[in-house]
Amino acid sequence: MSGRILPALFAIVTLAAAAPAPGLATDEEVAARQVALEVAGAFQNDGFKIRDGVCTGRLEKDVPKVIQVNLFAGNEYWLVLGAVAPAKKVQISVFDETGQPVETEPYQGDAASAAGFSPGVSGPYYVKVTLLEGDPAAFCMLYSYK
Amino acid sequence: MIWLSRPLAGGLAILCLCTTAVAETPALTAAELAAAVRSDAVSIPTPGELMAALDKQGKPDWSARIRPPISTNYSRRAQMALNLGGLIADGYIAVEAEDAQQVKNLGRDILEIAKALGVPKEIRDRGKSLTEKGEEKRWDVLREELEATQNEVKQSLAANKDQPLIDLVTVGGWVRGTEVVSASIDEKYTEAGARLLRQPAIAESLTGRLKALPEKLRDDPVVKVVTEKLDEIARLVAFPRDGAPSADAVKQLHALAAELMKIISTKEKK
Repeated sequence: MSGRILPALFAIVTLAAAAPAPGLATDEEVAARQVALEVAGAFQNDGFKIRDGVCTGRLEKDVPKVIQVNLFAGNEYWLVLGAVAPAKKVQISVFDETGQPVETEPYQGDAASAAGFSPGVSGPYYVKVTLLEGDPAAFCMLYSYK
Repeated sequence: MIWLSRPLAGGLAILCLCTTAVAETPALTAAELAAAVRSDAVSIPTPGELMAALDKQGKPDWSARIRPPISTNYSRRAQMALNLGGLIADGYIAVEAEDAQQVKNLGRDILEIAKALGVPKEIRDRGKSLTEKGEEKRWDVLREELEATQNEVKQSLAANKDQPLIDLVTVGGWVRGTEVVSASIDEKYTEAGARLLRQPAIAESLTGRLKALPEKLRDDPVVKVVTEKLDEIARLVAFPRDGAPSADAVKQLHALAAELMKIISTKEKK
């Protein structure tokens, strides 16, 4: 298991056949999750709760991945992407259910990126994760809410 | 925008903090939307997320939504899985109601059904922390424990190639969450509250998964009813983005979800 703080933290499972990885399959993914958790952890002080579930996989340049999330109006969210070397710079962006980009507050680190926003409408949103600089590497996307 | 004024905590090195250039960002194509990854772990919200949204509109009386104990002794695995999902959703309700005894009771019931489904002892042992955290009244930790417990159980089922049962756990939890939230909105109807019920993608995904179950599971009498009723529920939570269901529609949604949970939890008479 990854180094999650809580005592009963369990392995993550991604359940749909289309998921990029059926759980944290590699050490790289575990490390990518740690990067994402470090960013998300900073928002916990503001009352954000980090979901236990994550989406992991491998990012390649010019081959972004799109992940569906379902969010509720009135809640605030931070969607967080973490990656490991040899990825150098990654980006996360958010789109509504029609595919139009949503305005977010961005956080940009080296191999981490986060987008904060409060949806005006409940329903599906799409998170696009992109490798901007560097070579293919494992990624982990998770989100927190309050 | 609230985000621009909130201080970033934790001493992170912020390399760039600026508003996103939405105008420069190309829209997703239809192909990208269709190919999007859909995974329970991030695509299906926890009941806690929905409850958090509802709390912002005036904290409902969550203790009034606690239901009487249900059986934990079912003969068919499909019904066990549906009820396991419902019990985990009950756990979120008990946490919102800050009812330590309920959390402990539910922790015990969840473990009983998990055992009957063949979830290994080591995982069930870790699930005991629900009971311990309930005793300590650590509500925030308990929310995370509930999701982690669910993920762990699902992972165990996946390892046993029981994906269909995972789908049923998800359906049971979602229906129970919909039941309690629609009850609260029905009780004090507002358009803003009713808009929270919009979950078209989840409903579509779950109805699709039920229809794709192996024939043996599809023929299970409870699964048959769930499949039929979920279609009706899906229609009620798939209203337009700029709309809100009427008070009557919310009442209808609650009645359907409540009826379905009753069917799911009713033990077959021999």
